[in-house]
Amino acid sequence: MSSPLAQAAHPISQNLDVLLELSFKSVLDSLPCYVSILDTGYQFIFSNQTIRNDFGEPAGRTCHGLLKGYAKPCTKCLVADTYQDKQIHIGEGSLKLATGEINQIIICTAPLIGIMGNVMAVIKIAINITKIKEAHKELIILGESMALLSHDIKNILEGLQGGAYVVEEGIKDNDMTLAGKGWRIVKKNIFEITRVAQNILYSSKKREPEMRMVNPALVVRDVIGLFQEKAGSMGIQLVFEINPKLPVVKMDQSGIVRMLGNLVWNAIEACRKSDDNNTGMVYIRADYFNKQQYMFEVEDNGKGMDDKTKQNLFREFFTTKGNSGTGLGLIVVDRIVRQHKGRIDVLSKIGVGSLFRVVLSLQ
Amino acid sequence: MGKKTIMVVDDNPDFRFTMGLFLERSGFEVITAEDGKTGWEKIQQRTPDLVLLDVMMENLFSGFELCRQIRNNHLFKNLPIIGISAMAEEVGVSFNQETDQEYFSPNMFIDKPVDKELLLKSISDLLKSN
Repeated sequence: MSSPLAQAAHPISQNLDVLLELSFKSVLDSLPCYVSILDTGYQFIFSNQTIRNDFGEPAGRTCHGLLKGYAKPCTKCLVADTYQDKQIHIGEGSLKLATGEINQIIICTAPLIGIMGNVMAVIKIAINITKIKEAHKELIILGESMALLSHDIKNILEGLQGGAYVVEEGIKDNDMTLAGKGWRIVKKNIFEITRVAQNILYSSKKREPEMRMVNPALVVRDVIGLFQEKAGSMGIQLVFEINPKLPVVKMDQSGIVRMLGNLVWNAIEACRKSDDNNTGMVYIRADYFNKQQYMFEVEDNGKGMDDKTKQNLFREFFTTKGNSGTGLGLIVVDRIVRQHKGRIDVLSKIGVGSLFRVVLSLQ
Repeated sequence: MGKKTIMVVDDNPDFRFTMGLFLERSGFEVITAEDGKTGWEKIQQRTPDLVLLDVMMENLFSGFELCRQIRNNHLFKNLPIIGISAMAEEVGVSFNQETDQEYFSPNMFIDKPVDKELLLKSISDLLKSN
């Protein structure tokens, strides 16, 4: 390090103020956060390039006008707080970018104090923390999901262990009826663990949808094939109604099969748990919704849902199935429908049944 | 001395069947119930020596509720209960005997999948101490 004297003798030091101003400005402009200096009327005295890039030209505009689109100042304003008490303030908020995207931000305001001790202006720094917030949410979900998946898998292990014990006892006694009973329990749990594993795959972001032209009728037949035997063994009838005029459409076939499969499985479970003595019926339909859209419907005459259940349906790991569900099923449904830019309508009444309608574009 | 009777309360029919078979073949008389309500009725009729109780059943009259009912009844309050669930460790469903006494108080808690040796030892210990 050179001494202050040596620095003073250096020719560059004569222009140090100019250089510092230029480099400060250039650093402020390239910072990945919004830096501004605001006057008492909340008008921009200074704004960095990041603000100009994301919100347009701030000259002559107010902070609330440019960043929020408001005519009046925000009801809770950290800049106003700093003007009032001359303190640094930190808070969180959201901003709508020119692209319409809503971003979560952390805001810090600090006073620029004049020689008379008054606040001449307020510097405001806003950092976009949307990605951090998203990562935080994902981490929470991941933690919960690990706990609940572990619960589900342990129940399946209990079934496998119990089933295997019954098979062994049957073989020991040369009682094949008993062994067969145990084997059915083992097979049921193999089916369960396969379903869980597939739902984990489809609920993760890793899998890319494979879009190709497919006839929706084929998808319904695939799903019926998957569940016909299982439903039959529970005394539940699967009925399919397909409009033969439906054209081929672009879709991720295995994703749509999984999505419908989860809805059908829920419908079967709802019938199984229904208290009335009617035969459980599950209808699977594929038809036009209107000229631009087609729909899949899964309807059951099972136990139906109350309003609270309906509201929580698509929340991660919400389940009413006690030991027999992770709540992953409808999350997978939701994710696949969103991948196809479609929507889901749910109609349900306690004691009458439920209808899930997935509306997708024909284009 | 006659066989001791164990009641298995679980909403999963496979669990009732496999656990019932295991306990019968281990020398116990077994009664089963698919929910807390049926469990409570059968407890009053048959007075089992021990209850093996799933705490995560779908029915509103869940394992927690049945446990409270047993503990609040002067005839059955000392009935040994083993709580069973696959949730114990992961989501912090751990019970403090002192603070959770009112809410849920099984004598002990066993995780699923059930370790059969541990289960038999626990049953034997609880039956002896009772």
